[in-house]
Amino acid sequence: MVDFGQYIIHGLAFGAIYALVALGFNLIFKTTGVVNFAAGAMGTAVTMILWSTLDRSVPLAAAWLIAMAAALLIGVLTEAIFMQRVERSPVLIQIVVTLGLLLVIEGAVNRIWGAEPKLIPSLASSKALAIGSWYTSANDIFIMALTLSLAGVLYLALERTRYGLAMRAVAQDREVAALMGIRSFRYVTASWAVGVLVAGVGAVLFVPLYGGGLVPTMMDNVAVFAFAAAVLGGFGSLAGAVVGGFLIGIFSNLVGGYLSTDLEVSLIFLLIVLVLYVRPQGLFGVDAKTRL
Amino acid sequence: MNILLPPGRRLERIGIALLIVVAVIFPKAYGGQDYLISQARLVMIYGLAAVTLNLLVGFGGQISLGHAGLLAIGAYTVPVLGNNYNWPTWALILAAGVTTALVGLVLGLPTGRLRGHYLAITTLGFGLAVPELALSTRVAPLTNGSEGLIVPTPTIGSFTFDSAGHPEAFYYLCLVVVLLCLLAILSLLGSSSGRRFMAVRDSEDAAAAMGINTWLTKVVLFTTSAFFTGIAGALLAFQDGVIAPTTFPFGLSLLFLAIVIMGGMASVWGSIAGALILIVVQVEASNQPGLSDAIIGAVVVLILLLAPDGLAGLARRLWRLAAGLGIPWSAGVGPRLRRQPAAEPPEAGERPPVEVRHGR
Repeated sequence: MVDFGQYIIHGLAFGAIYALVALGFNLIFKTTGVVNFAAGAMGTAVTMILWSTLDRSVPLAAAWLIAMAAALLIGVLTEAIFMQRVERSPVLIQIVVTLGLLLVIEGAVNRIWGAEPKLIPSLASSKALAIGSWYTSANDIFIMALTLSLAGVLYLALERTRYGLAMRAVAQDREVAALMGIRSFRYVTASWAVGVLVAGVGAVLFVPLYGGGLVPTMMDNVAVFAFAAAVLGGFGSLAGAVVGGFLIGIFSNLVGGYLSTDLEVSLIFLLIVLVLYVRPQGLFGVDAKTRL
Repeated sequence: MNILLPPGRRLERIGIALLIVVAVIFPKAYGGQDYLISQARLVMIYGLAAVTLNLLVGFGGQISLGHAGLLAIGAYTVPVLGNNYNWPTWALILAAGVTTALVGLVLGLPTGRLRGHYLAITTLGFGLAVPELALSTRVAPLTNGSEGLIVPTPTIGSFTFDSAGHPEAFYYLCLVVVLLCLLAILSLLGSSSGRRFMAVRDSEDAAAAMGINTWLTKVVLFTTSAFFTGIAGALLAFQDGVIAPTTFPFGLSLLFLAIVIMGGMASVWGSIAGALILIVVQVEASNQPGLSDAIIGAVVVLILLLAPDGLAGLARRLWRLAAGLGIPWSAGVGPRLRRQPAAEPPEAGERPPVEVRHGR
């Protein structure tokens, strides 16, 4: 019988990944009001690019830089080519465009890189590390620390800098922001770039963590758990994404440990429905209409 | 026939009548090519499923990313009841509709309060949860886990519609059921309930101000859509012969959504045409991994960016062009407002009255 605390500790590392991907959703949602359903597939594409660069024996740090640059580029291009054209369309249309992109990217990744599993090295040692009677690993701690510090940096950038203030102004009312001399479209593009970057970091860190190998559909379930995290925490809230991510990580690990791993998605779905029924804006969200 | 064929636009009526005639004589023309007939049945079944999704998305303005989950409920109902209780085929099909409608009702009660992204993610969760539950060891006694269930062969009296021995007979069974469902859906859309769906779609606040109970309308919409989805699921179960959790992946929900977009929102016949085209794409590209996904995704994105009202909108523009050129038969008879269920969807790029340029 594995310890209750052990399940929680193990869930935290997965929760950190869900938190990262959910952060990506919420950053984009906060400024544009769009949920990027293609985030998982975009993350997989970034990871595949990292794998290809490593495969050409580029050093790890340089390969990471290239992959992250690719993530920024994917974000910028998605906004410039597709999302800009539907920014005034109904939510329904915007959702379906990102779903179409999900299919395109997943199909393209499948065609370019194939379906055989690939490996990505972890950044820190994944050897078991004893803390009291519980076990974790340097890699798990690294993932959690990275998630928390990324969230912290994003929070400070949004709340304490001129750029963050401008971005919040754009989120509140793009046209008034434009009248105040803010080049709002740049902030929209930037939030897409950073949003995809954060999701890409999550995807890259996820490969060694779950150990099943990198395949085109790897991020499908992660994206669903991250959606759940974003709904639980409240769309558009950075703190909500982090708390929601960790909660979903712990919850799914407890369900997997005590009940059965084949009920994870169903119970998380039930949890979301219950949370939305009691608190439709999520734990940290303000009124769904204002998204500030 | 006046419900199946929209009055007013004669060219459109001719097109739809032609489609039905082709569907009726298709097995005669391709007799012996069982594979083609099986694909044609799939077009009808997926077409019906897409029309039920269009009820939600196009006519009701409610998004659903878990339609395959509802289809699965209907499909599983058939072998679960058929293998244990020996019900006649028509009762099984009806039971599949009723069971799925009940699930749609339960799903609609909480989700009737949700809008936009929250609704999308909740229905996405539902669509993933249903096959997961069917796979789960806890439900396995009912659904037989990953191996799935063998579906009884449909019969009427002493005649068996087994798809190997009588592929054409089963084709006509599908055709009759699908046409009956379309007839029911079209007349529903022309009724006051249909008008309420569209009023809620166009503006929930305005609909509420007109005295419409928007929550109840949405619950009714979910339940109605689920009923017909369940019937499509029953047909799919008979078509496949074996039903397993892998029959209903998330990709299937996306395919239905793509069909709706391709055919045009709020267009019943557009969804049928969309199903025809996308199933041909899927069959042609099936031996190349990832290709059909990429094509279907690209089609969805391109249509939404370039021609947001899909095939139906394209057809409408062609009619108008034909009428402008004075081509006989194209101009409508009678006023166009008279019973026109397929109301044009709101313009996608609608702009607010006051426009501030922001540098683009």
